[in-house]
Amino acid sequence: MADQAPGVRIDGLTVVYKTPAGELPAVRGISLTLEPGTITGIVGESGSGKSTLALSLLNAVQPPGRIAAGSVEIDGLGDVVGLAGEQLRKARGAHIGYVFQAAQNSLNPLKTVGKQLLDLGRSHGVEDLPGLVREARELLGRMGLDGARVLDSHQHELSGGMRQRVGIMLALVLNAHLVVLDEPTTALDMITQANILKIVREVHAERGLTTLVITHDIGVVAEVADRLAVMYGGRLVEQGPTREVLGAPRHPYTRGLIKAIPRLVGDIDEARALPGRPPTLATVPKEGCVFRERCPQRMDVCDTVDPSVVADGARVVACHAVTVKEHAS
Amino acid sequence: MITGTGITKTFKQRGNMLGKREVPALRGVDFAITKGGSASFIGESGCGKTTLGRIIAGLETYDAGEIAIDGTPMSPLKVKQRQPHFRKIQMIHQDPYSALNPTRTIYQTLQAPLALRAGQTGRPEGWIDERAAEVLSLVGLDPGTVLSRYPHQLSGGMRQRVVIARALTVDPEMLVADEAVSMIDVSLRLGILALLKDLRERLGVSVLFITHDVATARYIGGDSELYVIYRGQVVERGPVDTIIADPVHPYTQSLLSAIPVLHGLERPGEEPVVPLESLAEDQSDSGCLFAPRCPFRGDGCTDERPLLQVTDGVPQEHACYYPRRRSVIARPMSEV
Repeated sequence: MADQAPGVRIDGLTVVYKTPAGELPAVRGISLTLEPGTITGIVGESGSGKSTLALSLLNAVQPPGRIAAGSVEIDGLGDVVGLAGEQLRKARGAHIGYVFQAAQNSLNPLKTVGKQLLDLGRSHGVEDLPGLVREARELLGRMGLDGARVLDSHQHELSGGMRQRVGIMLALVLNAHLVVLDEPTTALDMITQANILKIVREVHAERGLTTLVITHDIGVVAEVADRLAVMYGGRLVEQGPTREVLGAPRHPYTRGLIKAIPRLVGDIDEARALPGRPPTLATVPKEGCVFRERCPQRMDVCDTVDPSVVADGARVVACHAVTVKEHAS
Repeated sequence: MITGTGITKTFKQRGNMLGKREVPALRGVDFAITKGGSASFIGESGCGKTTLGRIIAGLETYDAGEIAIDGTPMSPLKVKQRQPHFRKIQMIHQDPYSALNPTRTIYQTLQAPLALRAGQTGRPEGWIDERAAEVLSLVGLDPGTVLSRYPHQLSGGMRQRVVIARALTVDPEMLVADEAVSMIDVSLRLGILALLKDLRERLGVSVLFITHDVATARYIGGDSELYVIYRGQVVERGPVDTIIADPVHPYTQSLLSAIPVLHGLERPGEEPVVPLESLAEDQSDSGCLFAPRCPFRGDGCTDERPLLQVTDGVPQEHACYYPRRRSVIARPMSEV
């Protein structure tokens, strides 16, 4: 594996889950490119399919789910949808680092961090285990921790912010250059969150990574990501450079979501929750726009026709109302 | 009206060979929440805000100080005598997924406390069903569709509304909402906050809001009293809008600086405050509790602990020897 940030091209990805009502799509027809060396943030509420999409990067969608269509091309690895068995196991960890949601709870409570690090090394056939420990200590030190002490600790001896940093260390220690962080700051305090986000930015730049951050919190993406992609009901509804999307959101869902964030300044009465509720696997519409039930700009066509994904320079949006407006102007 | 004076609580951990370890959770906290008023406790996890909320709701004892509910001090009373007082204060927990019994319909969940209430107040038959529908309407749910459902059939936001409805069944004077929106989908959070504000205005219920996210505290009402708690001590106190606009304590400033900036829509404050180190258990107890992390600590900070006070030119109470306004929060681009 080359020691440089890989590019990732997700094309037409559909992931379905088997339910009593048949196979239902959690992720439907998603195309997304992660340019080498960038941080991309995926924002979505519960049931948007964001975690399923992230797991697809590892080809790790568990039954009753399966990747039904599409491909995930990663530089130096090829299409991970086609990988299986030993090849796949090697790719995970060595090429793709994954920091799991609630990394605070993903450590083995019975083993010290150091022992888990050695397990990781052995399972990936690392011959220079002292070297691996050295690398882990350096990474932890880089993140402001006493490496030797942390490696000797059990998870209950570490705070939430410290465990999160251990999760990042384990994802990077095998020299992966593609890193996926699933909800990296959920359940952390504001000050700890700010600290972790700073670490993510710095480690990303120093090690030359391609990074994907999955979160429900637009603020997290605003702080770290170059590009922002918004998911709703298994679809990618808008994406573009973070600052441009936040400054001038186009999709009604993105607009509503930004308006719904409690802020420190500004008119309280202007901020409001979106009406309705996010769809679940069972309630997401089979045809037409997935957001129409909650949309203030709903038109007849939204009920029957899936809005196509339209690119305009770096901005991409899938909404009939936006397309109509642009044709009119 | 609920008041607390000098509330102190120390948790004693079962010892190791060196003996018992004592963890001070609250170090003499004063507060007052008027009828129909609201207050917010903010701070990092471990600061004591949840412990204080639990003490106020009667779910935890205190070592020293006094809680008085409508003028009646609680500590002289026997446990049984306290109950009717503490019943006026109801807790809304963080996680609406574990706060409801999954094997009971929403009707069954509401019916149990209502039956108790009907017995106490001698209500006629039929009142329970009427009242169950009424409390659901109060929280913005349609009784016709919700009553027969089980919790798993509802979204997180709807479940949290059911939890609030259940608290309302006993006609409380105050709701204690502990991180009540942090597990709710972002697009629905404001709805829950607006509901709490609405219940204040319509029913005159006081709201105590406990959170680590200062921004949410505004939405309970701009007149809401904000208590910034650090390691069991209130370090800054005043109306929420005053403190957000002009915080003077470096800890409050650190909390506000840590809130993510929506780049593209906002520009960051000019003097963000970042603590020198993370909160750690072994940090010094002498003098100002924040001194070990404070970038602005000066002479005397580690000698004697500053107490909550008002100084010239600062309207809110603060516990800092060197209070100074700093521009820490992000502003909308449109304002510049």
